[in-house]
Amino acid sequence: MNRTVLFIGVFIAAAVIAVLFLGLGKDPQHIDSPLVGRVAPDFALKAVGTGETIDLQQFRGKPVVINFWATWCGPCWQEHPILVANARSLQPNVQFLGVVFQDQESKILSFLNERGTAYPTLVDEKGKTAIAYGVGGVPETFFLDASGKIVAKYDGPMTPDILQSYVAKTYRQ
Amino acid sequence: MRLRLFAFLLVLSASALFAQTSKVPDAAQFVGPPGGVPVTGSALDTRTAEVAGLLRCPVCQGLSVADSPSEMAVNMKGQVRELLGRGYTQEQILRYFELSYGQFVLLKPKFEGVNTLVWILPLLALVIGAVVVVTKMKKLETAPAAPVAKSDEPVDPYVAKVRELLK
Repeated sequence: MNRTVLFIGVFIAAAVIAVLFLGLGKDPQHIDSPLVGRVAPDFALKAVGTGETIDLQQFRGKPVVINFWATWCGPCWQEHPILVANARSLQPNVQFLGVVFQDQESKILSFLNERGTAYPTLVDEKGKTAIAYGVGGVPETFFLDASGKIVAKYDGPMTPDILQSYVAKTYRQ
Repeated sequence: MRLRLFAFLLVLSASALFAQTSKVPDAAQFVGPPGGVPVTGSALDTRTAEVAGLLRCPVCQGLSVADSPSEMAVNMKGQVRELLGRGYTQEQILRYFELSYGQFVLLKPKFEGVNTLVWILPLLALVIGAVVVVTKMKKLETAPAAPVAKSDEPVDPYVAKVRELLK
């Protein structure tokens, strides 16, 4: 009986250690998006400032970077200059789009006027676009290839290296 | 009066223009056309609460969309309501959110893949526990009784004295 108990104990301990070992290597905030590998949900949204309607379909034929962000999000402030600088250097070969997440248009406009921008920022009425893209927090960035398929998603603030490596994925597919 | 009418018409035409040109991702892109009948009236409130209760709020700690006051959950609940009103079934709505957020968004994990362990392991642990307890009890029942001292065996003088005093 004692050997059986020992065996069960060792088995449970090994299982717990295995689960912890696998779990510790992962970012708990990261959730794999089931949208990766699928065609990006289609939208046509109004741009902040200009009021122009930007349709995702119009960018078919080139990679698109869609960044969900908000002015109340600290990491979004941090990544904003990186996104703008890369958009300036990569456009028109790669199209950048910002989508406002749970924010007010006036605050976004004031932020963009103060810090500058190089691509359209779109208003997401009632967060429907964010929901369709499975956005649970900001910043979240989606990378679409020329056919409109989502090839990668990144949670968290961008660094120049991360951004460039993810943009490269849109060409590799 | 004319100015007010002009302003009203301007707002009306601007919103009509926005409604025409603005387009958000639709559930039909994910799960096709509605598969049921539109829910209306008080039944819509009840069904919205029921279906939203099956969805996890992505920005909360273990709260359902129905229970969370966060803007995200309110938006998701609004979408559940809209989809029910358009005739989407509960399965279609759950599938729509699952296709966006993954199975994480479902408060009740599906009985498939690794998730089956979530359902099976507690039952398995219960069965194993019951087997161990029953086996142990049976062993205790069949265990030989403690040997009784035979009367012809020599008795310790101290024990004998104690027995004498107890009489």
